[in-house]
Amino acid sequence: MSFESLLLMRHELLLLLAIVLLLIAEIGTNDSQKSIISPLAIILFALHTIVGFLPLQEGSLFGGMFNTTNIVATMKNILNLGVLIILLQSWKWLNAPENKVKVSEFYIVLFSTLLGMFYMISAGDFLMFYIGLEIATIPLAALAAFNRQENKSAEAGIKLLLSSALSSGILLYGISMIYGTTGSIYFAEISQSITGFEPLQVMAMIFFFSGMAFKISLVPFHLWTADVYEGAPVAITSYLSVISKGAAAFIFMVILFTVFKIFTPVWQDMMTAIAILTMTIGNLFALRQNNLKRYLAFSSIAQAGFILLGIISGTATGMATVVYFILVYIFSNLSAFGVVSIISAYTGKDSISDLNGMYKTNPKLSLALTLALFSLAGIPPVAGFFGKFFLFTAAAEKDFYILVLIALLNTIVSLYYYLMPVKAMFINKSELPIAYFKTDKISQLGLAISIIGMVVIGFASPVYETILSFCFGI
Amino acid sequence: MNVIFFYIIAAAILGFSILSVTSRKILRAATFLLFVLISTAALYFLLQVHFLAAVQLMVYAGGIAVLIIFSILLTSNVDFTFEKIDWKKQLFSGLLALGGAAITILTLLQFNFKALIQPQTVTPDIRSFGRAFLSYGDGGFVLPFEVITVLLLAAMVAAIMVAKKSKQ
Repeated sequence: MSFESLLLMRHELLLLLAIVLLLIAEIGTNDSQKSIISPLAIILFALHTIVGFLPLQEGSLFGGMFNTTNIVATMKNILNLGVLIILLQSWKWLNAPENKVKVSEFYIVLFSTLLGMFYMISAGDFLMFYIGLEIATIPLAALAAFNRQENKSAEAGIKLLLSSALSSGILLYGISMIYGTTGSIYFAEISQSITGFEPLQVMAMIFFFSGMAFKISLVPFHLWTADVYEGAPVAITSYLSVISKGAAAFIFMVILFTVFKIFTPVWQDMMTAIAILTMTIGNLFALRQNNLKRYLAFSSIAQAGFILLGIISGTATGMATVVYFILVYIFSNLSAFGVVSIISAYTGKDSISDLNGMYKTNPKLSLALTLALFSLAGIPPVAGFFGKFFLFTAAAEKDFYILVLIALLNTIVSLYYYLMPVKAMFINKSELPIAYFKTDKISQLGLAISIIGMVVIGFASPVYETILSFCFGI
Repeated sequence: MNVIFFYIIAAAILGFSILSVTSRKILRAATFLLFVLISTAALYFLLQVHFLAAVQLMVYAGGIAVLIIFSILLTSNVDFTFEKIDWKKQLFSGLLALGGAAITILTLLQFNFKALIQPQTVTPDIRSFGRAFLSYGDGGFVLPFEVITVLLLAAMVAAIMVAKKSKQ
């Protein structure tokens, strides 16, 4: 192994470098100099994001424990973009006087969890996968409890920690059965050793499936989601709902396609049931919410159900549609969360009824939120429409017609609740609408990037075609 | 002889685990957990994987169990007794646990376990463990070994973040 081959880990090494530099900056500055930390972190991360887009060779390191392929690198770039937007959007909240004391810790922990996700999605064996998964979840619980003085935030932290401990236990039990029956932890070796429908190995797959379903918050493993999303700070909620979920869905798909490809009929059956449950229950509960964060939590549960439609097909098209949908979903959900975080940072309000009459006072924010909700609902011409449309095509290609029909019905239901905030902003009248406020430049930038992404990606067909050319099926 | 020891140890693990879960005093539960961890170490000694047994004793029994007991003593009221769960819940969760165990045991028994044919590359002594930890070729573990350090660092920073008080 030569030194140059380590450059295959460029994404990880750069991020690690950023973490170390931030640690040094935290130690080397006194209280009055702490205001340089936020710009430093954002600039470092922006550089890291840009360098990530440079072409990267495919290859594997450390005896197959670390693999990087074009689709993995693309996925990492997508996650980078999402995190960059979140960093810009959380600027105002993070630099509020009560949060300022913990700024550098926030960045260090956030970057570490992203590093864990990188190692998780380029893992070539279950050990690296599991370690990456833990780095991506344990510190996140602390971030969810960032406003520890508020009971809800502390509750979110402890709930995230406990539910992820339970799901990790289930996941590990499944992995231990795989290791016990095949004698290997490497994905490539395991997929060769599994030759028939051994009940024990099928059970291991089910345990693995359930563990991952917790992380992606599929019904019936979703019960932690709403409380955690509501209690955590908005930045962390959006991080959980797009970045964590996207990374976990991606590696879930890769492992199902490679390690468990023999059990395809089994996991397709399971996934059909779970996808129907997830879409329906996510939508039905979203109808009843008034708190914006809870509302977006249930909407993100329903969206996870749609992601399954791409995974279930098991084809290269399916994989491409999932990655593309995650990209679109990152932009649309972050636009929605961006507006919510701006409103909550400036006015402290976070319920749908607070939005009443907001178009009169803050027309630009109202339009941004409307576009984001249109994209989440899948209304053309915003990118969300193409994301959903491609997912449906991928599932229909493999004759999952009933599933696609139910998904379509769910889309209609979701139209209703995605338009509720729009109605509140434009039509409902209010005695006391949210007063006009001027948004700071950095939040504007974050919101602008995500809205431009959301509109442009739908029309730029090279994006989808490039992703498709990197993908593989079963 | 080994078989008898195995069953004794297995019974100890099982018994202490059940006691640990059902005990209504939190300190007792933690102590039973300590016994479970020690019995697991005994199982490793029986299988002659001394390194794993030593790690199990040092890290789990020595470190983690003591940490748990410390944090119980520092934070909560030691005399606190969990409320008694009503019999319906006990019945249902008992049935669920038994059913899950039955399915697991049945599928485990169905599987035809074979000894690995491939030659044993790593002899279980400390020297080869050290080599495996630090080698970067096939079967080397230096990457997970190093990545875990990031996990520990992140966890420590996260703990500081939770503990830090704002100045107001």
